[in-house]
Amino acid sequence: MSKADQPYIDPSEIPLEGSAAERFKTRSDAFWSGMRDAAGAPAMVLFAGMVGFGAMGRSAGLDGWFTTLSSIFMFALPGQVVLLEMVVTGSSVLAIALAVTLTSTRFVTMTVTLFPQLHDKDRNRHLYASVHLLAMTAWAVSMKEFSSIEAKHRLSYFVGLGLLCWILSVPGTILGYFLAGLVPMPITLGLVFINPLFFLLTFTEVKPWINRIAICLGCLLAPIFTILDRDTSLLTTGLIAGTIAYYFDRKWLRKRAGLIG
Amino acid sequence: MINTALQGWGLWAALAGACLGTYICRAIGVMLSGRINQDSEIFRWLTAITYAMVATLTVRLILFPIGLLANVPSWARILICVLSIGVMVSKPTKRLVPALLTGTLLMMAFGSIL
Repeated sequence: MSKADQPYIDPSEIPLEGSAAERFKTRSDAFWSGMRDAAGAPAMVLFAGMVGFGAMGRSAGLDGWFTTLSSIFMFALPGQVVLLEMVVTGSSVLAIALAVTLTSTRFVTMTVTLFPQLHDKDRNRHLYASVHLLAMTAWAVSMKEFSSIEAKHRLSYFVGLGLLCWILSVPGTILGYFLAGLVPMPITLGLVFINPLFFLLTFTEVKPWINRIAICLGCLLAPIFTILDRDTSLLTTGLIAGTIAYYFDRKWLRKRAGLIG
Repeated sequence: MINTALQGWGLWAALAGACLGTYICRAIGVMLSGRINQDSEIFRWLTAITYAMVATLTVRLILFPIGLLANVPSWARILICVLSIGVMVSKPTKRLVPALLTGTLLMMAFGSIL
């Protein structure tokens, strides 16, 4: 099936099952393409972040196993930073678990918005393993790319993308741990900054207006709710900004043709 | 600072709790995703919420950082972000890597004059 004899289809209109455009021939084709896409900016950014995290752990006087195991089994950099900070300041185990879990609540909605786009055959118990590969980087890339990938190949693409990011995060953390103190401060600063910067930049590629509004409102409300209560700020801002954006979309945007991305 | 840090079993219990809490969030997501259709209203609503949450986390990391980044004044952090976004949107084609490099190099340059 060549692209030339297909009528133009808006990528977001491609249905869940059986799409017109075939981006990948086989599952392994999709898997390796996911790996290749990860090998650019996403893995570079995550690797840098993990190097920064490893270095932070070392300078805080933590065990190397502690930082490495957190990268393997948490694989959520913002949560890992919260864990590290609270361990260093000596918070209680319960308070730490709670604060980290609140920072991780985004995984609930990230999964809920990503996995329904998979093919029905792939929506089974194996997803409980694949979900561990989900991080903000892989989520942002997948949300963008899924619309141009046929449903049956989306999982393979996602696993390729997430797997490389996850695997690289381990040597990244170890490298950072051993480089701490050797690397000049400005370089560590750059490594720590590259992660939030990447997220910020990917926002400019989000197309649907409802999500653009949600992002803008989130950015505006975040400082207020973070000052009020840092731990719950993700949840409160997300709910309020997301609901306003949804309401705005439902009330006004959908009635105006051409505005829905 | 090290004196107040968690030691011994407390350290590993905290790690286990953090790993478990994070995985539970992922697992709840998988559980709920089985019942949600991507064409439904709730899917649109949850997508908007997720983008808002991710935006919040990003703003929190940039404006209220923990650790090294806190030594850089807020105006510098914001200015570098604005300049990087400027590079990103300067052309409609892929500008992610140049924009990332701009921000990172500027941050390193600023760090070296701190």
